[in-house]
Amino acid sequence: MRGAMASGSAVVLARALEALDVGGAADKINLIPQDFFAELCEQIIQHLNHKIPGVDTAELCQRIQTSGIEINVGDLAKIANVVSFLFSTAARNSLSTEELVTTLGNAVTALPKHAVQVIRHVWNEHGKSISVSEDARNMATLGQFVDIKWKLGVAMSSDTCRSLKYPYVTVMLKVADPSGQITDKSFEMTIPQFKNFFRQFKEMAAVLETV
Amino acid sequence: MAAVRDGEFAALQSLLKAPSKDAVRQLCQECFSSPPAGLGPLAQRACPGLAAGPEEALQLVSALHNLTRHVVYRGLTRAEDILSIFPENFHQNLKNLLTKIILENISAWRNEAQASQISLPRLVDMDWRVDIKTSSDSISRMAVPTCLLQLKIQEDVALCGNSPVVSALTVELSKETLDTMLEGLGRIRDQLSAVANK
Repeated sequence: MRGAMASGSAVVLARALEALDVGGAADKINLIPQDFFAELCEQIIQHLNHKIPGVDTAELCQRIQTSGIEINVGDLAKIANVVSFLFSTAARNSLSTEELVTTLGNAVTALPKHAVQVIRHVWNEHGKSISVSEDARNMATLGQFVDIKWKLGVAMSSDTCRSLKYPYVTVMLKVADPSGQITDKSFEMTIPQFKNFFRQFKEMAAVLETV
Repeated sequence: MAAVRDGEFAALQSLLKAPSKDAVRQLCQECFSSPPAGLGPLAQRACPGLAAGPEEALQLVSALHNLTRHVVYRGLTRAEDILSIFPENFHQNLKNLLTKIILENISAWRNEAQASQISLPRLVDMDWRVDIKTSSDSISRMAVPTCLLQLKIQEDVALCGNSPVVSALTVELSKETLDTMLEGLGRIRDQLSAVANK
């Protein structure tokens, strides 16, 4: 009975893989060196284990590009989605390493060999620990705020005003969307806008205290 | 912003045919606010009585556009500085009128220039709400306070022209992440005070 159930789950995974266009991802995964791919998989596992809010694809992509590989953030995000789906489906169906690897091998367009090796290793190490249950803190239906980076600047001159001396605040918010991808959003504020921004957050915190 | 050329001052003389001082005022404002690409249509629309033909109309609005933008670029705020831009033989009354109009508008024009200069996307609005999550399909009872924040961000004005693109970013914050945000913002505030005191 257990054997039949297990292979049933593997079939679920196989069908889902087809639907997810693994074929498209397979070509792109080929581009990524093994150690970067391993890092991506580790981050995905950590995200599924609720240890980190998401996978910082933008940051990882930049490092991959610096090493000379031509890949864009969109492609890396697609690959992250496929692998995340792989791992979470395997966890939900309690697949063993062998079942997972066999299913990958049998998929219509197989993943490159080095990728399968990484997946096998990562699943072996961490597969058992992925908990699929939700707890209160981890229910994300919206983007989750992760971090804020900021810069205070003064615009000195522009094509419209030779002498500006215009202070402004630039803020970059890191947000983890529900699928686990971390994206950056940058914007500028004038100083009065910033003061209002700060005040609103203090009000929010005050309300949170009372609730 | 190059200085105004002599030929352009000649074109400004067409303003002498304007029906009223207010008409000149109105035209100055429109010429300042118009981007270079909008000057053609503006010339056709605004100058039927003032210019002999379409070419003269375009020369007039271009001259007025360049003059007003030049003053804002140089940051001139005193009457004598603005008067000294005009050539010696320029019509006295017209020179005084234009200087007066420029002085009236210079502060608003400077703000307009700053607001439309290149920049990262700008925050235009911010709304928030505090919720309590009470239950879900997997947890029947809980009381988790959460902040929902919606930021409206307008993409670079220079790229969007007259139809600004505003995107909404909706984000959830927990008590911990809200504290992270407050800490970051507090440091900005400290830095602002330090700079202000220099």
